[in-house]
Amino acid sequence: MTVEAMRRVARYWADRSLAVKGLVVVALPLAILLGALVSLYLASNAETRAESDVRRAFAIQRDTYQVHALLAEAAAGVRGYVLTNEEQFLDPYRKAEAELPPTIGRLDDAIEDHVVRQHFEDLRRLERDKREGLREILEEADSGGTSSAELSTALVGNKLSLDEVRRSIDAIQEREAVVLDERRARVDEVRRGFLVLTAISALVGLLGSLSAVYLFSTGIVRRVRKLEGDARALAEGERLTDPPEEADEVGRLAQGLVRASALLHAREDDLRASEERFRLVVEDVRDYGIFALDPEGIVTTWNLGAQRIKGWQAEEILGHHFSRFYPPETRDYLPSEMLERARASGSAEDEGWRVRKDGSRFWANVVVTALRNERGELQGFAKVTRDMTERRRSEDALRKAREEAETASRAKSQFLSRTSHELRTPLNAILGFGQLLQLNEDQFDERHREAIGQITLAGRHLLSLINDLLDISSIEAGASELKIEPIDLNELLDEVQGLAAPIVATAGLTFERIAPDRQALVLADRRRVIQVMLNLVGNAAKYNRTGSLVRLACTIDDDAVRVSVEDDGPGVARGMAERIFTPFDRLGQQERARVEGTGLGLSLSKSLVEAMGGQIGYEPLEPGSRFWFSLLQPTTGRDKNLALPPDNNEGQPCPPN
Amino acid sequence: MPAKLIDPAEIRQRRILAIDDEQPNILLLQSLLEQEGYASLKCLSDPTKALQAYIDFEPDLVLLDLMMPQVDGFELLEAFGRHDKADEYRPVLVLTADTTLQARRRALSLGAKDFVTKPFDVIEVALRISNLLETRILYERLRSA
Repeated sequence: MTVEAMRRVARYWADRSLAVKGLVVVALPLAILLGALVSLYLASNAETRAESDVRRAFAIQRDTYQVHALLAEAAAGVRGYVLTNEEQFLDPYRKAEAELPPTIGRLDDAIEDHVVRQHFEDLRRLERDKREGLREILEEADSGGTSSAELSTALVGNKLSLDEVRRSIDAIQEREAVVLDERRARVDEVRRGFLVLTAISALVGLLGSLSAVYLFSTGIVRRVRKLEGDARALAEGERLTDPPEEADEVGRLAQGLVRASALLHAREDDLRASEERFRLVVEDVRDYGIFALDPEGIVTTWNLGAQRIKGWQAEEILGHHFSRFYPPETRDYLPSEMLERARASGSAEDEGWRVRKDGSRFWANVVVTALRNERGELQGFAKVTRDMTERRRSEDALRKAREEAETASRAKSQFLSRTSHELRTPLNAILGFGQLLQLNEDQFDERHREAIGQITLAGRHLLSLINDLLDISSIEAGASELKIEPIDLNELLDEVQGLAAPIVATAGLTFERIAPDRQALVLADRRRVIQVMLNLVGNAAKYNRTGSLVRLACTIDDDAVRVSVEDDGPGVARGMAERIFTPFDRLGQQERARVEGTGLGLSLSKSLVEAMGGQIGYEPLEPGSRFWFSLLQPTTGRDKNLALPPDNNEGQPCPPN
Repeated sequence: MPAKLIDPAEIRQRRILAIDDEQPNILLLQSLLEQEGYASLKCLSDPTKALQAYIDFEPDLVLLDLMMPQVDGFELLEAFGRHDKADEYRPVLVLTADTTLQARRRALSLGAKDFVTKPFDVIEVALRISNLLETRILYERLRSA
């Protein structure tokens, strides 16, 4: 058998299932034992047969002697009877006559050896002749006709044939002796063989048992031991390699262990890699001081951020109590208070001054988190510290900037109200005296009356200018508070119509109003929207010298509500349209006709609409012009972006009384 | 026009104290009141003398400017309030170029009975003056009755 074949067989054996192996291990010694028993049985049979052969040989010897003895006694009896005529001498003869045939029959059955049989055939013939001879002698003797000479001859002849029988028996005896010896020898041989076979059986049985044990040991026990070792190694976290190739249960179990080990190690590697990554990340974090404390508050880890923020190297601070990060005024109570709070509620946060290694202070945001194991036992604390000095500084700067801005805003609105006051005060005397003079104008001549009228007119114009200008300034400075709320423009259209109709009628024009068929909600300041509408309608009425109509309309489209004021007058000259919202630019109107105006109306309207988050614009018509503005709707959500002025100035310039 | 409760002549006899640091405005008020026929007038352009004048002159009505140097109109309103007895009704009409809502609220809450911003309509001011004096007279009658 080649090595390759042996290996194949070994492999084939190893791959069998445990049930097959167990069966083989139990059956092999049993089969060997059974074989030994069968061979013992066969050997015992052979011995029995050999012994019966020996017994048969003895029986043959005995019977041949019996034949001889019977014949000899019969012959002697016959002789005696013949000589004496005494009946009692015939007894042996009769016995022989009775016993010889069965004896001869027995011999015939028993004799197997062919040499013996030849002698036996002689014996049978001689025996027959002898008995025949004896019977003849007896018959002659009984008839009495026989002479003594004849009798003597017959007796002598009888004696001779007996001798012949004797010789024949001797031959048989001789031969049987040989056969007996042979059979005895065979019995001995069989016995020896039996002994040898027993010994061999015992040996083979022993070997079989040993080999079964060996097979069991190699196939199962050794491997189960290895498996146990593998399991122990696995439990200790060692890495299992080289999975066994055997495909039986033990092999598969071992392969499973190796796979489990591989999986375990893959997971461990992942975990270790992840921990390593995390450690590296934590170590390299520069903006946060991240470190750990033991339950007593002793620093146990330190990262780059902590080093950067606090100034200590890891080796300088590890093993020290973390209270040294606190300034003297809080060092005695705050550290233990922080730990206590973290212990009680899981984490504690604080913002305050801390000290660096060099004694300088920084503003820190600190979060202390209690670290507990799965049984809830306190393992220590994690502390994350952020240097917020910059933020605090920028917050301070921001606060200062805001305060400055607020101060500036206050100053601006103070300036505006002061300016308003300072301009109105002299104007009060001018207009008041003008009015007093007008009340007594019958005391003056026409020339003076005209002059008084001019003073009053110019004073009023100046007042409008002041009002509009201050209005624009306060809106642009954010000093004017807008009360933004959802309002329905439909209601405002009614109101504006009521207010503007007299002006329009005075100008000899027709007022037309087109309202939408539903609510037109906008986010705006009600008073200011009316102001803008009145300004636009007023403009339309004032400058429409050639047409017949002023039309106020409100339309709602997808994302805006739009109010437009149209007229069919001369409109705005080409090239002037872009100057239309410029303060004080009256586009030459003041020269063309006696039209009152400050030149600030549209400018103020633009400021107001834009402050409310809307848009304002102009479109020429043929003939006439269209001014429009749009406002935000409550649903657009853009109202959040609307810049509301700070409420430190709730007042605004009031319209003149 | 319903029949007057109070004779206009009685109203014109009442004492009016006008306080304004601007001389032209004092002159305007003086002209207006004289033209309206008021006989008993005291006009002050120095607010520091206002309280003493208020005490000495015992006006039936005060015309008061708010924004003045050294002592402003609010302080004077407080001082007048402290000086007057609790059951006294001596109206103050504030005449100011300060158009802010705060000024209006503050003045009215300090006891001013009316508030008109400059530049004002002289006829309106004359009417408010006579109305306030009328109320003052009615109050006096009620108290003495």
